[in-house]
Amino acid sequence: MPRLLLFYRLMVRPLLQEPVRAALTVFAVALGVAVVLAIDLAGAAATGSFRSSMEALAGDNDLEVTASGGVPEDVVGTLVSLPYSIRISPRMENYAVIVDSKKSLPLIGLDFVGEGESFAQLDSASGAAPRVQENPQGPLEHFGDNDSIWLGTSLGYNVGAHIQLLINDQVREYTVRGVYPDSNGAESAIVMDIAAAQHALARYGRVDRILLKVPNAPGLNEWQQRLRGALPAGVEIHPQGTGTNENRKMLAAFRWNLQLLSYVSLVVGAFLIYNTISVSVVRRRPEIGIVRALGASRSAILFAFVGEAGCFGLAGALVGLPLGHFMATGAVKLMSATVESLYVSSQPGAIELSFTSALLALAIGVGIAVASAYSPAREAALVSPVEAMGRGRREYDVNIEKGRDLWLALALGLAAVAASRAPAIRGKPLFGYLAAILLVVASASAIPAFVHAITMFSSKLLGKLFGVEAMLASRSLAGSLRRTSVLVSALSTAIAMMTAVGIMVGSFRETVAVWMEDRLPADLYLRPGSSAAADRHPTISPGLAETIEKLPGVAAVERLRAYEIFYQEMPATLVSVDLDVLRTEPNSEYFSGRPREQVLAELRDSDAVVVSEPFTYKHGVKTGDSITLSLGEKQVTFRIADVYYDYSSERGSVLMDRKTMLRYLPDPAPSNLAIYVAPEAKLETVRAEIEQATAGHRVLLFSNRDIRAEAIRIFDRTFAITYALEAVAVIVAVMGIAGALLALVIDRRRELGLLRFLGGATGQIRKLILVEAGLLGLLANVAGLALGFALSLVLIYVINKQSFGWTIRFHWPVEILVAALTMVYAATVLAGLYPAEVAVRLNSLEVVHEE
Amino acid sequence: MLILSLQNVSKDYLSDGQRIPALSNLSLDVKRGEFVALVGRSGCGKSTLLNLAGAMDFPTAGQVLVDGVSTSSLEDAGLTRLRREKVGFIFQSFQLLHTLTVFENVELPLLLAGKPNAREAARERLAWVELDDLGHRYPHQLSGGQMQRVAIARALIHSPSILLADEPTGNLDTTTGNVILELLRRLTRQQNTATIMATHSVEAAALADMVVQLRDGKIEGITRR
Repeated sequence: MPRLLLFYRLMVRPLLQEPVRAALTVFAVALGVAVVLAIDLAGAAATGSFRSSMEALAGDNDLEVTASGGVPEDVVGTLVSLPYSIRISPRMENYAVIVDSKKSLPLIGLDFVGEGESFAQLDSASGAAPRVQENPQGPLEHFGDNDSIWLGTSLGYNVGAHIQLLINDQVREYTVRGVYPDSNGAESAIVMDIAAAQHALARYGRVDRILLKVPNAPGLNEWQQRLRGALPAGVEIHPQGTGTNENRKMLAAFRWNLQLLSYVSLVVGAFLIYNTISVSVVRRRPEIGIVRALGASRSAILFAFVGEAGCFGLAGALVGLPLGHFMATGAVKLMSATVESLYVSSQPGAIELSFTSALLALAIGVGIAVASAYSPAREAALVSPVEAMGRGRREYDVNIEKGRDLWLALALGLAAVAASRAPAIRGKPLFGYLAAILLVVASASAIPAFVHAITMFSSKLLGKLFGVEAMLASRSLAGSLRRTSVLVSALSTAIAMMTAVGIMVGSFRETVAVWMEDRLPADLYLRPGSSAAADRHPTISPGLAETIEKLPGVAAVERLRAYEIFYQEMPATLVSVDLDVLRTEPNSEYFSGRPREQVLAELRDSDAVVVSEPFTYKHGVKTGDSITLSLGEKQVTFRIADVYYDYSSERGSVLMDRKTMLRYLPDPAPSNLAIYVAPEAKLETVRAEIEQATAGHRVLLFSNRDIRAEAIRIFDRTFAITYALEAVAVIVAVMGIAGALLALVIDRRRELGLLRFLGGATGQIRKLILVEAGLLGLLANVAGLALGFALSLVLIYVINKQSFGWTIRFHWPVEILVAALTMVYAATVLAGLYPAEVAVRLNSLEVVHEE
Repeated sequence: MLILSLQNVSKDYLSDGQRIPALSNLSLDVKRGEFVALVGRSGCGKSTLLNLAGAMDFPTAGQVLVDGVSTSSLEDAGLTRLRREKVGFIFQSFQLLHTLTVFENVELPLLLAGKPNAREAARERLAWVELDDLGHRYPHQLSGGQMQRVAIARALIHSPSILLADEPTGNLDTTTGNVILELLRRLTRQQNTATIMATHSVEAAALADMVVQLRDGKIEGITRR
């Protein structure tokens, strides 16, 4: 208790006397903690609770039977005829949009005839299929009707309600025949009879999945082996939820990278805690001497300063908890949109702040604060009482070895180069991250020498250019080299991450824009009105392409079809293009550098494919290799003719000739149409004709320019969260600068007061502090830009490549960088305003005569 | 020629709502070339008088005239200008900026005032205090006496009419202190400056042309030599 009292008197009370500075430090830690927590919570909601409606409504089954393009219906008969006691549940699975609310939901076709009674009894909460609330006529009466649907209660429709659903490119009328309980809305779906679903989707003779419930004995593996023998070659059998697990694995890299980005704010916060405790140690050096002389041990001093940091960490974490929860609500929307665009259909779950998450936030806040305070605290503990009482802060400030640290920086830089050349470990670019960390540490080590060189050599020039205030500011920064270096390190780390991510995203954006010029040669593009995702490819009524083809002014219509497939138990996209129509573009988009025409000629009506770059990375294949795909009921081996650059999805794609695809998957419905307008026709006229011809269908028609703009919009939305994370890191750093300048003003109050005695005007004092802020910003911008460039190379060529498999061509996004750096610089100077006012309001008489 | 005139000056401070008188109805005239010592116990008002004389503070009552200009009639900018032109300060703890060289410390008032040829003036003032070969050193490379001489050179850089010294020998040993006092007296004569020095030291006071004895914010007696 007496120790706590002493801790309060000697450590906490002085903090309370500087509430603004203490609050800035606490808030900086709080933001760092909040960002990490927000990304964790949002990631869990957007991807972690990925058990989608499809799975939530799958029931307690053991195995699932799937095939690319759908499982032939006769497989159900084959399974039924086996002499085993197996529950067999065939399902149609797709998506539909409720026209009124524009809400996209899973559409599930269940075999009500075969399983109707069991659906009427089972409860969704138990993990089985939904228990349907009876309507007055009884639940089974309308099961067979093509217009009957059942909905989750969270959607708010009553039994008997009529609703319109957009399925592929058709709007259809349905009647709600019943509702089932879906506790949090994550299990919401539109349920209908399997025959009605086949009718609505115009897909007859195939089902999407067959779920199997097998007896407990023998084991699941044995059942899998037995049943596989009875299935056609292309039809696969897996434990239920394999796709979900694979998707979750695929999403791990996405979450992992975002989580790492979120730690940048914490790293910046750590620099600032280090600075705060360093300042505290410098200021209280005489007090340390007195307390040591009065009997305090070294460990007591160590614990006092570590405890001070712990207080900052604890307070920051407590503020960060609700802030993180709030930020997660914004982050989850952005993350879910990205998951849908790049990975897989999913509905975000609820954001749940668990006890573990709260504990983690507290541990992060306190842990990072204590760890970053240890070094200055130890320094305080090691100083002898006589030295502490006898000498000022100058001794402390010069205690920094610039030369040694510069050599250390060089060694760390070389280690970073070596780490960047190492391969990924289990698909994770761990050495890439290590290279990035080494570069940050190398930069922090080089900064004292950099700051010293610039401030010492530039002070005269600054004095000539901007007056004596600039010279004094420059000398003051050089005089407090350790403090200045820590501040520049903190801000430059934040700027570097912002620059690196800016360059990476800018390069990626430019690469995608150039790539789209090759990939989107048509004048108009048409797709179904229902929403698409990386794993969701709604189709267009087959006759529509023929109708459009016959329109005047239309030169050609290319039919594109996409399926979700599994290769080596990983989700991928199978795409076909119409080689009879596809136009030749001058630029090659293939690894071999061969012209497109030459490559695609190899695919024409043959078992040859080209695969996307991410596919080669995920599956370790290359040009000339063979891959075996399960298509329909067959297994077919294809030769890889070449590898193409592709940035549309991270899951990997296999591209073949439409004729080849139709041989194995005979569904002619295209997913998209690329329409070429005849040279003599006017685009707008043709567009109007197409709109007229497709009036009875819900389709979306895009001009070439629109579709590119839409792609860039999705791209920008995908990376919005990374920009947000970098912005938070910069805010933390700028807040740190404000706090540090405030501390600087308080520490140098005697010096500032003296300037008034020597004839300095209030405007000059203000200018001095603002110039210091500006110099700090300038040094941090220069160092941050250099470090950011190096980090961007690691991000583009190592981390991105090893995480996602995309080749990004380096590009300087000059406009974005200039705007961002100018903004940060302005923010840094603005951060000096309040400290400058404090400096101006100092009572010169009091501060000069303090001693 | 009268350079400083304090006429019925009183100065009160407020502390926790209570009025604490520092100077009471005090009058004093100082001419150019005079070396004045303010003596008295701690808290008698020596530093307050120096602050009023240096236009760093305003009197609560009465007026302070520096070269005929009442400080009470000036705004902040006018006071700053007055200090830049008329007043030089010397402190007990030297108050040099450790990040600046000796030259840079000395030329600082001229630079703050935006005046040209600061380096030549600094070189000359350092010659006055016999430190012309140490201009490129930093303060921590100097002895206490040398630091105070640098502070004197700085105080004289703009040829002030009034030199205010607050315990200039307080942090120095006796021998060095005496050297500094001799220097101050010599420069006062040579530059025709009015030097007002607050001191506890009897030896220091003995060198002054006029000794002003302060007690509880009032002049107890004036001795002229």
